[in-house]
Amino acid sequence: MTAWFASWGLTYEAAWLVATIVGILAIALPLMLAVAMIIYADRKIWAAIALRRGPNVVGPFGLLQSFADGLKVFLQETIIPSGANRGLFLIAPIITFTVALMAWAVIPFQAGVVLANINVGLLYILAISSLGVYGVVISGWASNSKYPFFSALRAAAQMISYEVSIGFILISVVLYAGSFNLSVITLAQKGNILGIFSANGLNPLLFPISVMFLISSMAETARAPFDLTEAESELVAGYQTEYSSMSFALFWLGEYANVILMCALNAILFWGGWLPPVDWAPLYAVPGIIWLFAKILLFFFIFSWVKATVPRYRYDQLMRLGWKVFLPISLFWVCLVSGWLMLTRYS
Amino acid sequence: MPNVTVDGIPIAVPDGATVLQACELAGKEIPRFCYHERLSIAGNCRMCLVEVKPGPPKPQASCALPATEGQEIRTDTPMVKHAREGVMEFLLINHPLDCPICDQGGECDLQDQSIAYGRGHSRYDANKRAVTEKYMGPIVKTVMTRCIQCTRCIRFAEEVAGVEDIGALYRGEDMQITTYLEHAIQSELAGNVVDLCPVGALTSKPYAFEARPWELKKTLAIDVMDGVGSNIRLDSRGRQVLRVLPRINEDVNEEWAHDKTRHHVDGLVRRRLDKPFVRQGGKLVAASWDEAFAAIAKVARSAKGSVAAIAGDQVDCETMFAAKSLVKALGSDMLEGRQTGLAYDVSNLGAVNFNSTIAGVEDADAILLIGSNLRWEAPLINTRVRKAIKRGARVFGIGPEVDLTYAVEWFGNDASLIAKLPKAATDAFKDAKRPMVIVGGGALKLDGVQGAAMGLIKTLKLVSEGWNGFNVVHTSASRMGGLMLGFAQTGGIADIVAAKPRLAFFLGADEVDYSGFEGSFKVYIGHHGDAGAHAADVVLPGASYAEKHGTWVNTEGRVQYSDKAVFAPGDAREDWSILRALADACGVDVGFDSFDGLRAAMITAVPALGREGLAGYDFSAPKLDAKAQMKLGGEIAYPIADFYLTNAICRASPTMQRCSSEILHGDEMLEAAE
Amino acid sequence: MIAHLFKSFFLVEFVKAHWLTLKYFFKPKATINYPYEKNPLSPRFRGEHALRRYPNGEERCIACKLCEAVCPAQAITIEAEPRDDGSRRTTRYDIDMTKCIYCGFCQEACPVDAIVEGPNFEYSTETREELIYDKGKLLENGDKWERAIAANLAADAPYR
Repeated sequence: MTAWFASWGLTYEAAWLVATIVGILAIALPLMLAVAMIIYADRKIWAAIALRRGPNVVGPFGLLQSFADGLKVFLQETIIPSGANRGLFLIAPIITFTVALMAWAVIPFQAGVVLANINVGLLYILAISSLGVYGVVISGWASNSKYPFFSALRAAAQMISYEVSIGFILISVVLYAGSFNLSVITLAQKGNILGIFSANGLNPLLFPISVMFLISSMAETARAPFDLTEAESELVAGYQTEYSSMSFALFWLGEYANVILMCALNAILFWGGWLPPVDWAPLYAVPGIIWLFAKILLFFFIFSWVKATVPRYRYDQLMRLGWKVFLPISLFWVCLVSGWLMLTRYS
Repeated sequence: MPNVTVDGIPIAVPDGATVLQACELAGKEIPRFCYHERLSIAGNCRMCLVEVKPGPPKPQASCALPATEGQEIRTDTPMVKHAREGVMEFLLINHPLDCPICDQGGECDLQDQSIAYGRGHSRYDANKRAVTEKYMGPIVKTVMTRCIQCTRCIRFAEEVAGVEDIGALYRGEDMQITTYLEHAIQSELAGNVVDLCPVGALTSKPYAFEARPWELKKTLAIDVMDGVGSNIRLDSRGRQVLRVLPRINEDVNEEWAHDKTRHHVDGLVRRRLDKPFVRQGGKLVAASWDEAFAAIAKVARSAKGSVAAIAGDQVDCETMFAAKSLVKALGSDMLEGRQTGLAYDVSNLGAVNFNSTIAGVEDADAILLIGSNLRWEAPLINTRVRKAIKRGARVFGIGPEVDLTYAVEWFGNDASLIAKLPKAATDAFKDAKRPMVIVGGGALKLDGVQGAAMGLIKTLKLVSEGWNGFNVVHTSASRMGGLMLGFAQTGGIADIVAAKPRLAFFLGADEVDYSGFEGSFKVYIGHHGDAGAHAADVVLPGASYAEKHGTWVNTEGRVQYSDKAVFAPGDAREDWSILRALADACGVDVGFDSFDGLRAAMITAVPALGREGLAGYDFSAPKLDAKAQMKLGGEIAYPIADFYLTNAICRASPTMQRCSSEILHGDEMLEAAE
Repeated sequence: MIAHLFKSFFLVEFVKAHWLTLKYFFKPKATINYPYEKNPLSPRFRGEHALRRYPNGEERCIACKLCEAVCPAQAITIEAEPRDDGSRRTTRYDIDMTKCIYCGFCQEACPVDAIVEGPNFEYSTETREELIYDKGKLLENGDKWERAIAANLAADAPYR
């Protein structure tokens, strides 16, 4: 793309700048739209499982519900509690939102279509998703209110707990693929199962950790059943309690952008990314981005499905699962995978 | 003392008691409609049936059956139950089922008793009887279809009120209660038939459809319409008193109340003063409390002790005491309560008191009325005189002849007759064991009458062991309390006029001749926009008797307490708090900060006001100026010109205005129309 | 113990639960599309209040105040006085719909079927003040819903 802009007579640096900005917009704007629709989808799926109808009034089949909600939120008054730390209070939702978008820089949508094809893409994602918790912690602290504060404490502990096991899971995948670059990880899956399927997840060695990653990603994005940070029966609305209007909307957008990101990661790391699930030539006629989106949507359906099925964990259960189950198993799996690789690939 | 048994309970009853009374003494409830303790026995409703042995084997009407020795009375047998159900069914045959639109609903004897003693349903399916309405005046509303012919109203009108305006026509099922000529009942006690009526046939016209008994707040109060101090109950809803009912007090009002007491209440919400006014450029202009106080304080500072207070007829003792404290603090002692100019001697309160007590009137056997239209000045004392006559008393009168509902031997309208009574009177009093003289407010206005009446104490032997027959009837509810608190100058209000006070407080005083106070700065503290408010320079809105706690002393010196039923309207405040705040504005100390503090201070000053009941004055005839007696003579005029319009509240009441024009001036109106 | 470990390790119960909810996902909806579809109402349904009139246009209410007395929420306020023709009528009949608990005692107490709780339940307002109904509003309701109310009363009459 840089070359294309350079052909307009721009210097390389200028062309690079323009190309990057255009790339960012090309990712961020559809993503916002996707978030809006995914919120709608979330509500519809949830409603269907509860035998309800879900949003069905605004627009055809209620499709414009999210935009109506967005407009409503946008028109509301921004209320800042008198005891709050104004600066931090306003910065917190911006951090959450920005960080949720930043991670998308390294997601490959198709062969070669990635904003920043960096070698350590997976490390970048780990770093960025760790930063995401700052938004929550800062908002909880800046609200100067007890429930948001509890929520922030919970969020911090929850993120740390699950990032450890996520780290180990990712190491297993990285070991298997031999790279931190997400495009490389995707390509490494091409026909890797009996030369037919393109999915790490179908590898008996990696399938268990793919399930663990799915569960951990729910915990990482604080989705049900791990939404302890906004457990309304205990904490009113968690760290969002004191927020209203646009700052509240930013939290929501960031949260769902994160959910989509995690779905994308699931798809890329274990289920072949933009590759067709079956390594069969005619399927490549379909653009890779469609395959990726199909997989993202499938995972989002699973997210919603779980949300509608499993009741919320107790906080101690959450901690137990993270530290006493996932951590030992993932650690064991790192040994298992690396041992297997030592025996097979590198011996 | 016959001994009887009621449902197996042996009991001794007084001689002359009826079976019904015997049952009541034994604690058995006997349903009844026609029987009433204070009326004669009619025995026509048949609801009080009981089984009595010895006697015929059928139920008997207990109200009309004397209790005799050895009777066995049963009130709980199947026969009695069956008989009551039967009577109730008959009564309900022609009684309409219109309880929802009946004002008696909720306090109806027929409702209550049909639930307690009725069968629950009727077997009667023919058409019910209907009766045409009868006109009974502005007080009593009739729905005669509801009448069960108990005849309580007829007996009351005849026996207690003394007017034969109500009666019955026709017989049996066709019997109708009527006023014969469809005119208003010519009695100031007409409202009592509403209470007596056990059904909704006679209901209160001004109160029609206003409220249900269950939604009213009941407050025990004392009536201020006259000096009798009737015990009343104020029924209020929200901020409005809706009706007044009498309470039973055998010493004062028995269970009656006159129409002014009952129906002045619509005057309590009309023509009310609800914000302070200050006169500016000859006109009263609405002002704030601070502005009004500032205007008064300015005068008070320059008045240098030239301050007076004049109490009206409906002021409670607390207000008068607060005013007295304020006037004293401002360096004066000019206090007066007799606004119309009475100036009788008050050195001995017993000499201006109704000493025989109101209940004692019944025992008198010779009564001399001196310048007293009792029927208007104290209707409930008038009923006692009627009772005394029934027991054989003779009544004589000096003053203009009026119809007092009983026979009076009038001697003429000349005050000098007091000193030289006609022979008929002296003869009657010679034999009397309990002689009584009732001096009215009209007579006391004339010079020498007080002294001459005092002279009768000796000549007619009014005072003997256990009996004091010298009585003065006051028309003002605040009079005796005012006198106890020292609201009296030697020369009456004329003394104050002569002193030309710089500042004068008028406590609800509307009968004062304000022309004498031209040079004074007049402050009116009261509740109605009447004469006083018109004349005043500053008007401070106070509370009426229904809107404050108060102590009242009636004409017989009976101390009684009244409670607050509702709040005063608008910016109006309780009078004592106005006077207290005024003391602050004037920079003086009156020695109390709360109502309780005020009452305590008042009781300390006049201990008799702290005890409910008769104050018990020492009685001794005061030494009077002999010169005044020389001028004895002249025509006596009664103080009340129009019974229904004696004070500011009544004058503001549409009901009272209607009563006045219809009952008192009805003939004149007709003549004018012709 | 082993079985339990097996079950929890292989998420057996989670898979079963998700299978169940997935089946529900494809089931027909239990709810109706409310503003366009409505459930049938019983004749005894207790909705918005209305004051009825007689067929000749005379208002039924006679100000007996039984509804005011029986109202457990004290939502009804009545003031009455004689009308020009001497009949007993209300001058004020207010129902505070924000206090009302829709128990239906008022219509049970009414001797003339004047106050009734009609079939209307769609009367939400933007302010509380609009929910304090006066006599005019209640009579207007009665006029508007009379047919439905009369039909309901007739349908329920055999059971009273």
